[in-house]
This record gives sequence, structure tokens and C-alpha cells, in this order.
Amino acid sequence: MLKTIIAGVRARTARLLLSSIAIMLGVAFVSGTLVLGDGITEGMKDEFAKTSRGVDVSMSLAGEGPESETGFSQATLDKVRDTPGVQGADLRSYVSAALLTASGKAKPASAGPLASTPELREYDLKDGRFPTSATETAVDVRALATAKLSMGQQITLLDMEDGKHSFTIVGTFAQGANSMSLGGSEHLVLLPEALPQLSDKVRGYELVAKAAPGVTQEQLVANLKKSTGEQGYKFQTGEQLTVETLKQISERSGEFTQLLLAFALIALVVAAMVIYNTFTILVAQRTRELALMRCVGASRGQVFGSVLAEAVVMGFFASVIGLFGGIGVSALMQTVIGSFSGDNTVVRLPVTPTTVLAAFGVGVLITVISAALPARKATKVAPVAALRAQLDSSEEVARTGTLRIVFAVLLGLAGAGVVYLGMGMEEEAALIITGSGTMLLLAMVVTLGPVLVGPVNRVLGVVPKALFGVPAKLASGNAGRNPKRTAATTAALMIGVTIVSLVTVVATSAKETASAEVDQRFPADYTVTSSIYSRPLQQDLLDKIAAVPEVGKVAPMAGFSPESDENSQYSAYLEATTPEAFGDLVRPKVVSGSITGLKDGEVAISSNFAKRSGLAVGGTLPQGLGATKKDLKVVAVVDGIDSSGLVTMATLTAFDPETPGFRSIMVKLKDGVTTEAGRAAVEKVTDASPIAVIDSAAETKAQLNTQVDQVLGFIWALIGLAVIIALFGIANTLTLSVLERTRESALLRALGLTKGQLRLMLVVESVLMAVMGAAIGLVLGVGFGWILVKALSSDSFPITFDVPFGQIGVMLLAAVVAAMIAAAMPARRAGRTSVVAGMAEA
Amino acid sequence: MSAVVSETGRVGTQAAVAASSLVKVYGKGDTAVRALGGVSVAFQAGKFTAIMGPSGSGKSTLMHCLAGLDNVDGGSVHIGGTEITGLNDKDLTKLRRDRIGFVFQAFNLLPTLSAEANILLGLELAGRKPDKQWFDTIVDVLGLRDRLKHKPSELSGGQQQRVACARALVARPDVVFADEPTGNLDSRSGAEVLDFLRMSVRKLGQTVIMVTHDPVAASYADRVVLLADGHLAGEIQNPTADSVLSALKHLGA
Ligand SMILES: Nc1ncnc2c1ncn2[C@@H]1O[C@H](COP(=O)(O)OP(=O)(O)O)[C@@H](O)[C@H]1O
Ligand SMILES: [Mg+2]
Repeated sequence: MLKTIIAGVRARTARLLLSSIAIMLGVAFVSGTLVLGDGITEGMKDEFAKTSRGVDVSMSLAGEGPESETGFSQATLDKVRDTPGVQGADLRSYVSAALLTASGKAKPASAGPLASTPELREYDLKDGRFPTSATETAVDVRALATAKLSMGQQITLLDMEDGKHSFTIVGTFAQGANSMSLGGSEHLVLLPEALPQLSDKVRGYELVAKAAPGVTQEQLVANLKKSTGEQGYKFQTGEQLTVETLKQISERSGEFTQLLLAFALIALVVAAMVIYNTFTILVAQRTRELALMRCVGASRGQVFGSVLAEAVVMGFFASVIGLFGGIGVSALMQTVIGSFSGDNTVVRLPVTPTTVLAAFGVGVLITVISAALPARKATKVAPVAALRAQLDSSEEVARTGTLRIVFAVLLGLAGAGVVYLGMGMEEEAALIITGSGTMLLLAMVVTLGPVLVGPVNRVLGVVPKALFGVPAKLASGNAGRNPKRTAATTAALMIGVTIVSLVTVVATSAKETASAEVDQRFPADYTVTSSIYSRPLQQDLLDKIAAVPEVGKVAPMAGFSPESDENSQYSAYLEATTPEAFGDLVRPKVVSGSITGLKDGEVAISSNFAKRSGLAVGGTLPQGLGATKKDLKVVAVVDGIDSSGLVTMATLTAFDPETPGFRSIMVKLKDGVTTEAGRAAVEKVTDASPIAVIDSAAETKAQLNTQVDQVLGFIWALIGLAVIIALFGIANTLTLSVLERTRESALLRALGLTKGQLRLMLVVESVLMAVMGAAIGLVLGVGFGWILVKALSSDSFPITFDVPFGQIGVMLLAAVVAAMIAAAMPARRAGRTSVVAGMAEA
Repeated sequence: MSAVVSETGRVGTQAAVAASSLVKVYGKGDTAVRALGGVSVAFQAGKFTAIMGPSGSGKSTLMHCLAGLDNVDGGSVHIGGTEITGLNDKDLTKLRRDRIGFVFQAFNLLPTLSAEANILLGLELAGRKPDKQWFDTIVDVLGLRDRLKHKPSELSGGQQQRVACARALVARPDVVFADEPTGNLDSRSGAEVLDFLRMSVRKLGQTVIMVTHDPVAASYADRVVLLADGHLAGEIQNPTADSVLSALKHLGA
């Protein structure tokens, strides 16, 4: 007797522990995702708010006015400063320049004026001081690392004419995120009077003013309107500016929050499933115990109440731990993301009421519901019948089968309908609508789960049966004996794998398409570009590269927009290269006509532009205004170019004789020259130029891929958590099943199943469940991926469906390995139980 | 006692199973329970032996030790010519599946397998092919022919025990151990099972060792071994329900 009591208590601790961990993990994931989202949004707000802090009135240029072309003038600034009620005012502007690095290469940089009113600065001093003379500068702290600069160092800036200007770094500052600081260039501040030497076109885009004490923002606006006039300006109070800035960010960060919210939702579903499943099994196992309680006189309400009370207490405590765990997860993720981007980002952990509510909603509510449903069922049965009942109840599945199938069919129809709807849409709408449709289809499969388990299990079971014989046969039987339980256990994993493979397929397809396009469009071995966007490559560089013995062919690429009437359907951005390059180094997909031997005065237009302008092969494209007006003959329609059309260099120079230079130079090596040798030879030329950077098609592809991979990595990490929880669910189910089947295992051992075979049996069962979830998930994910690719793909932006077989193989393998790990504990426990002790178990 | 030892010495002739000075202690220190206090007993091949005794006398413990389901704290057990005390778990498992058949009081069958699969489970674990003729004989004698495809949950208690008997016999084991095989059955189903066990001994030459506390069940056996407080307390040849009952009364007194 004592033995059974002890065994009971021990089994119960294990069960309580397992269900608590299930709740904790679920809560941790949900709250972690929410805290992370809130933290990132908060960070963005803080960053952006720096542009509007301290500002009482902001003036920007709007509409036609005297300064709409040139930007705010010094005269206007002086007028503002003299206006009554103004304590201080400053101009915001920037100048693009090139920063010479130690290696002699130029990096894009932008210099802004140091605001004379300290409150109006958008940046905070980190180290040293702000410049006090025209030869001093303070740089963004980030530039210290990215451009390898140090305090006290002498730096050189190149102006547009390659003139050199030296400055000494006297300080560093930290700035908020704004449209400019988010760009890739290095930032520095100079005294306002130092700016004009870098460019004669310093364009002040905003004028900010601080009010004197006692002057309201509205009064100041009124005063300013009087002194500067209203024509051509837009006045905003600081308050309005802040509201507008924040609106901008929440739109921006909104996308990210939505993404995180979608993950939180998935986390919620997965967590709910694991918790529900655990409790269903627990209460099912306690059916006899509950029945016994009723036999000795407990009322149905008392029994039900005791189960609920236990669930509430357990749910509450596990939720508290889970909530803290979630905050930890969020801190960890922020640190990881921070270390990726190289910023020393602050870890923010805002815990909003929503997060707390969600945590306890998941932890307590779902736990109670999960406990209540099976407990109700258990207490509804007559106590004596329950005492006699078999623990397995496979008939139940058959009973609810029809209702289930009807529901699934409805979900399927709805999903198919929504997908069909989404297929007809474009871009974002297509993504969202089609995506929702696929999620409905996923819900259908989850609903159908118990019905699918049988056949899928039979198919999957063939391999282990052939490999391992009887233990595998028994395992397959066990995996299929309670389809509802197996379905619920595998559903969590299935959802996770579906999402991962869906995202992976879509991303890979987009990636493959992009690199195929790169191949198609850039048949060159490599491309030389300018490291600074505003400073194009020059003819002498082209000549030098062409003179390199290893080089076979070169082709320059230039882009320009001929003048046109505002809103003309013919306003176009054209790209130009040499005539020989067409059909050779420049090889877009030709829709109609031919581009080979494209002559001066002819144009090959993109299919997008063809649609917009209504032009076709044989048509005429008028370009330019007045003296430079010219009619171009459309000889081809092509796909896969960024511009509206392709023309020859001569055509370009006809519009603008002072062509500033080339955006890029394509280089094709002579036959037999390796890329390495060729690159080395060309690098000798480019190294001599401060701005020329060599960039090959392969590297472009690699760049594209790393970008996509970074996003994928983030998604994999989040979903990875969901998958871990799902795998924990498998371990949970298995452990509970092992406890439930103690006598059965003992019987098998008595009949001659060795310990090793018993463990093997459990491992195979675990692997079967995991592969079931993973396999269905993969099929769904790839299928949904195909649907999404079809929906996103359009004539102008065709995406080729591509399945990343390697990654899918890795996923399947990971599922198998993880399942083996998940089975390790329960298998050990099962192996340890002695035959006789097992037989004694009730 | 020396007689018993010499009996086990004669390999495979007479004694199918023999125990000498078998000791089994549960727990340690003050709470230790000496479930078997030096039991020496031999079971002849081709005979139906019942182990009887009051509740808690050590019947199940003795059977577990004899069948190699539990390790012993002293003495030895031989099955056929093999000493099983001291074998490791793996060899014991092999021995069980090759040479022993089991019928338990309850929970004899795997719920996931059909009756037929349950009957053949032991053979399958051993990787042996069933003897078709022998299988048919057993199934027909036990009247299980039209129940073969059923799952255990679709069988009555008596039918389940008969399936367990079929499983125990289909591999032609050296010995069949049955622990209260009729304990959960009504008297008619119980009688059917006991009839079958006796028939398997008389007609098919099986060796059966059955634990029971029911004098009627014991009367089916050729010989009854009485156990009290973990010690042998006599035996009865060709028992009847009455002779067993009175022997038990003596034990209790
Ligand atoms: N696992 C165990 N732990 C402790 N004591 C046990 C255990 N199994 C049996 N016993 C004790 O050993 C004695 C014999 O038990 P058992 O062989 O089950 O008796 P029977 O089957 O004759 O009723 C009893 O006193 C019982 O309480
Ligand atoms: Mg007993």
C-alpha cells in the first residue's frame, strides 16, 4: 500500500512539474514577444523624438515661395532671430561630402551645422566638446567604429570638386534616429560657417526656434508669421511636430509590431495547445481517482471544484515565473539583435498592462479552461463506470468525427475562398489576404488532425518497422492509439514548422529570383561603382580599366531623367550605355522587339513604363523640353530593369552634354582570365581612385542573400522558440503516456522486451510524432509558400517558386534529433522501473 | 532440503523449476520485510502445481523470483538446467521470452494489438516463427477462432484471460507461470481457464505453476504447495477443494 502511495505521489509530482513547465514556457513566450515588441517601439519613439525636442516652432518650406528652390536663407534666419519672443533659432541643413578613410577610400558622409542654441540640438554630446572653430568637428560615436576614427584625429573631407578640407575631431555625439541618421553615411557637425566651403549649395530644410520664457508656442507662431510672412512656409508648433513625428514612427514601427504580434499570436496558440493537451491527459489519467472520490461521497461539484482550484493555483504561480522568464527572453533577444547591428543598444523592458493581462490570460485562463473541459467530461460519467473505464478512449474520436469534418470543410472552403480572393490582388494586399487564407487552411488541417493521425502514422510507421521490428511496431501502435492526443501533441509542432517553411520558401524564392535577375541583368564578371552616390565615376577611370590587359570588354552605365512637363505620362528615368553593350553586357529580358544593336535615338522601354505610357514597339517617346526636345523611337519592350528605358550614351549626351559621369562600369574579362586574377588587375586601377569600388555580380548576390538571411534568422529565432515549446509538448505527452502505461511496459518487459527495446520503442514513438508534425508542417508550408509566391508574383515582378531542399532536410533532421532528445527522459524513466514494481502500479 | 538440491541436479529430467534456500527481503533496517525466508521447492516438469497461502504469505514474491522477474537476496533458482539467479537483466529477458509463459491476474494484453497479435507477441519479440498447426490447435481449444481480430477492449474478461493463456502456450515454453489467473473472473469463466490449463498439462505435456488463494482453483492442480509467512508449510498431492480448505485452516490456526 505504502508503495502505491509513494508511487502515486511521485507520479503526481512529475505530472504537476510537467504541466507547470508547459504553462511557464507558454507564458514566457507570449509575454517575451510582447515585451520585445513594446521595447523596440519605445526605443524607436525615444530616438525619433530627439528631432522635435526643445523646438517651440518649426518652419519648413511648403508650396511656392522665394526660398523653395534654395532653402532657408541667412536673411530669413536673421529675421526670425530678431522676432520678438524668440530666444534662439537655428537652421537645419546638411552637406554631403566624402570622408577619406585611412586606406585612402572615400566613405559617404554628411555634415550638419552645430545649432547655436543648445536646446535645439538633435544630438547629445558623448565625449569631448562640440567644435568652436571652423577647423574642428564632432562626429557621431558610431563613426568611431565604422570609419575607424579616434578623438583628436585629423580627418579630411572631399568636396564635390575633390577639394580637400581638414578638421580635427574634438568630440563625439549620439543622435536619435531620423530619416538622415538611418542612412548609411557617417555624420559629423561643423560650425555653420564651415559648411559653405564643402558645397556652395547648403540647403536649409528646416528652421527651428525656441520661445523666450513666458511666450507660448502659438504666440510665437503668430509673431513669426508676421515677421517672415506666410508665403512658402509651413509653421508648426513643437507640440504638433512631436505628434506628427510619432505618427510617422508608429507607422514605421507598426509593421514590426505587427510582425511581432503575429508571432505572439502563434506563440499563444502553440502555448495554449501544449497546456490544453497536458491537462487533458492529466485529467484523463485522474478519471479513476476522481471517480473514487465520488464513490466515497464527494459531489460532482466538489470534485470539479477541486480540479479547478488546483488549476488556478498552478496556473497563477507558473504564470508569475513565466512572466519573469519572458522578460528575460526579451532582454536576451534585444542583446542578440543589438550585437548583430553593432550598436550598443539599450535593453528596454516595458511591462504594459496588456502584457501582464496576456500572461495571466494564457497562464490562468487557458489552464483553467484546459482543466475544466476534461474534468467536466470526467465527472459526467457515472462513478462506477469511470472506475471500470479503459484509459484509452479511441471511440470518442469516431463519435465527434462528423462534426469535426463538417467544421473542417467549412474552414477549408473559407480558406480556399480567401486565397482565391488574394490571388487576384497585388503586393501587400495579396500578401495579407492570401496569407490569411492559408492560415484558415492551416486551421482546417489542425481541426482534421485526429482524423489524419491514423493514415499518416501508418505511412510513416513503415520505415521504422522495417528497421527496428517489433519495438517500432508497438511504437506505431502507441502513436496511433489515441489520435486526439497525438494530434494535439503534434499540432503545435506542425504550426511552427508550417510557418518556418512557409517563410523560408517565400524568402528563398524571392532570393533566387533576385539573384537570377542579377545574373540576367549583369552578365559582367564584376561591376565598378562609386562608393559615394553623389560622386559618379569618370571617363578616365573607364579608359584606365579598358586598358588593363586582362579586361575584354567594358561598358559604362549612366542614368538620367530628361526634363519633362510635370505629370507627363512620358516623364522617364533612362539608363544609358554604349551601343555594343546591348544584348551583350546589358541583357534584360526582351518582351517584344529587339535591343541588339540599339541605335542612337532609339529606346528600349520597360514593360512597366510601356503600361504607364501606353507605348509599344514602333511608338515614339518624346523626351526633353525646348531646345533639347527629342523623339525617341521605341524598338523594344523589356523586363527586369529598374529604369523606364535603355538608350545609348550618345542619346544621353544629346540631352545633357555635361554628363556628370557613370553610375557604374561593367567589366568583362578576356576568356581564360580567372576572376581572381582579373579582379587583382582591375583593383590596381580602382585602388588609385578614392571612390571606385569593385563589386561583382557574385558579391551582389551575396549581399542580397545576407540581407534576406538576416531577416530569416530573426524569424527562425522566434519560431524556433515556438518549436522548442512544441517539442517540449511532445516530451510532456510522452512522459505522461509512459506513466500511464507503466503496467503495459511491465507486461512487455515480462514477455521479453529488453530495456533497450523498451527505450527504442519510446524513441520511435517520439520520432513518429515529431516527424508527423514536421512532415505535415513542411507539406503545408511549402504548399502555402507556393500559393503566396503565386499571389505575390506579377508580370512586372515575376518570382520563381523555389524550394530550399537543403534547409527542409535540415529541419526534418532537426525534428528527428529533437524528438530523440525529447524521448530521453521518459525513456530513462520507463527503463528504470522494475517489472514487478510496474505490475503493482494501479 | 537435500532432496530438493539433488533434484535440481538432474538436469531437465524431472524438475522444470527449482528453488533452494530462496530469501527475499523488501526494504531496509527496521522496516525490512522478509517476504521469503529460505524457501526450497522443486516443480516437476509436465505437472500442474498450485502455490497457495494466505494473503501476504509471499506467493507472488515467490513466483516473481522463480520467473526471473525480480532479483533475490539469497539462495538460487534453476529453470531447466540454467541457474537464473545472477543472470543480468538482458539474459533474464531473453530467458523469459524464450522459455517462460505468463498469465497475470489482470492487464495481460496490450490494448493496441488485436487478440491474434497479442497471442503472437512473445514469439515476435523472440524473432521466432509461430508453428501454424500448434497455433490453430490452441486457438480452437480455447474457442478464440472468431475473436482473433478483436481488440482486448472488445473481449470479455474470460476471453481476455483465454487469449493470455494462448499467448503463454503458443511458444511452447519450459514453464508457464500464472498469478491468480482467475482472480478477476466469474466462476464459469474461471473454470474454463482452469480446465484449459489442466488440459495443457495432461494432454500437451506443459508445466504450469499457478499462484492462487482460491481452494477451488487449487483443486485443478496435481499438487499444491502451501506457503505461510514466507516459509513452506507443507504440500498436498492430488488436492480437492476440501483438502485444500482444511489445510489452509490449519495454517491459519
Ligand atoms: N515491493 C514491496 N515492498 C515492500 N514489501 C513488499 C513488497 N512486495 C511485497 N511485500 C511484502 O512481502 C510480503 C509478501 O507479499 P506477496 O508476495 O505479495 O504476498 P501474496 O502474494 O502471498 O499476497 C507481504 O508482507 C508484503 O507486504
Ligand atoms: Mg499476490
